[in-house]
Amino acid sequence: MINGRETKIIDQIYLHVEKGDIFGLVGETGSGKSTILRLMNGFMKADEGDIYLMGQRLDEGTRYRLVKDSSMIFQDFNLLGNLNVIDNVLLPSRLRKGDRKENIKRARELLSFVGLSNFERSYIRNLSGGEKQRVAIARTLMTRPRVIFCDEPTSALDEKMSYEILKLLREINEKFDSTIVVVSHDISVIKALCNRVAILDRGRIKDIISLDVKELKPLSYKEALLGD
Amino acid sequence: MISQYMDIFRTFRIDIFRSLYETVDMMFFAMLASLILGLLLGFILFATGSEGIYRNRAVYFLVSSLINITRSIPFILFIIVIIPFNRLILGTGFGVNASKIPLSFIGIATFSRFTEKDLLDLDKNLYETSYALGSNAFQYFIFFLLREARSGLVLSFTSTTISLLSYSTVMGIIGGGGLGYLAISEGYYNFNYKLMWIIIVFMILIVQFIQAIGNAIAKKIDKR
Repeated sequence: MINGRETKIIDQIYLHVEKGDIFGLVGETGSGKSTILRLMNGFMKADEGDIYLMGQRLDEGTRYRLVKDSSMIFQDFNLLGNLNVIDNVLLPSRLRKGDRKENIKRARELLSFVGLSNFERSYIRNLSGGEKQRVAIARTLMTRPRVIFCDEPTSALDEKMSYEILKLLREINEKFDSTIVVVSHDISVIKALCNRVAILDRGRIKDIISLDVKELKPLSYKEALLGD
Repeated sequence: MISQYMDIFRTFRIDIFRSLYETVDMMFFAMLASLILGLLLGFILFATGSEGIYRNRAVYFLVSSLINITRSIPFILFIIVIIPFNRLILGTGFGVNASKIPLSFIGIATFSRFTEKDLLDLDKNLYETSYALGSNAFQYFIFFLLREARSGLVLSFTSTTISLLSYSTVMGIIGGGGLGYLAISEGYYNFNYKLMWIIIVFMILIVQFIQAIGNAIAKKIDKR
């Protein structure tokens, strides 16, 4: 319901994401792509239809269990300001049972992987946008998720930082064999990262296309401006 | 001039310290009750409110109304109205122990409203973040809400404590005693204005101390 009127946000969505895919959802603002992402991880409930995550049907009984095998990267990073970097990375492991020493070791390895080894004790307010997203990515990897959902992961970042984050996501897909679902309104992000893309228009899938995976290259402002 | 005040202080020092003890005794119990039950009710208000994860109009209305009623009755009348309840619980409606009950009620009502506001001020995406990271509802309250709201809650609890100190001054009407009552009964009614002013200064210093401690803790734990 929006302003008291029944409104269909998305309709007739048939979508299948293969294991190991970097799958893109692209569309204009309000096309329903973020809603689909939140339906896929069980945060929102569809009025009709079924959603399967990692082969199991999402419902009230399964969603809390299934979501533990997935993770999410947000546009605004969604880090906890009262925790330092390593405690933010450790947070998902604190929500599960596990060996604390092992978890700390893994958190340090992940901080090294995202290039933030020296920031362990820093607080979030002292980090740049790119650094914050790296912390969020390390936090995401903490629980070895089989699926990673990314909601506009680079839209709050500048060109250079966006490239770094996209490179990192590509590495994660290759190194950890995680399936990645990316939502973005930015065609260049989708083009640089995804091997399959669904194009959304007013809550419906307009097309699903496969893309050739290209090598990621950083562009200077001049190259970006002059390129086609 | 100062020596006159010193003389008054020396004469009444036993009364002043006895009253200070009564105030601390009443306050400690009420503060503890406010912290535990006020926090709990604040979380219930937040969770059942329009932005909460357990939206429930009936529960919200009931809790919210009880809090509003407690806060809207003039406190001096509230103390009198609640005397039968004191008798039911403690067997007596008067004395320092009986004073702890109305003081606790007003502390709980005040702190629960502050808590609700502090939680509403947090990032609206906190629940989604907690869900996506695999937390259950209990973990969401402890690891996310409480942790992120902690400095605001400390400041709110500081304000509640200062309000309780102010409310405690009228506890004399049911024999609660305390510093405020000494200032009114011995100072004002007995025309001993110097004693009254000594106690006023005492209370100003206590409030300054409480606020300074609260500010220092809130600043120390706020890393946002």
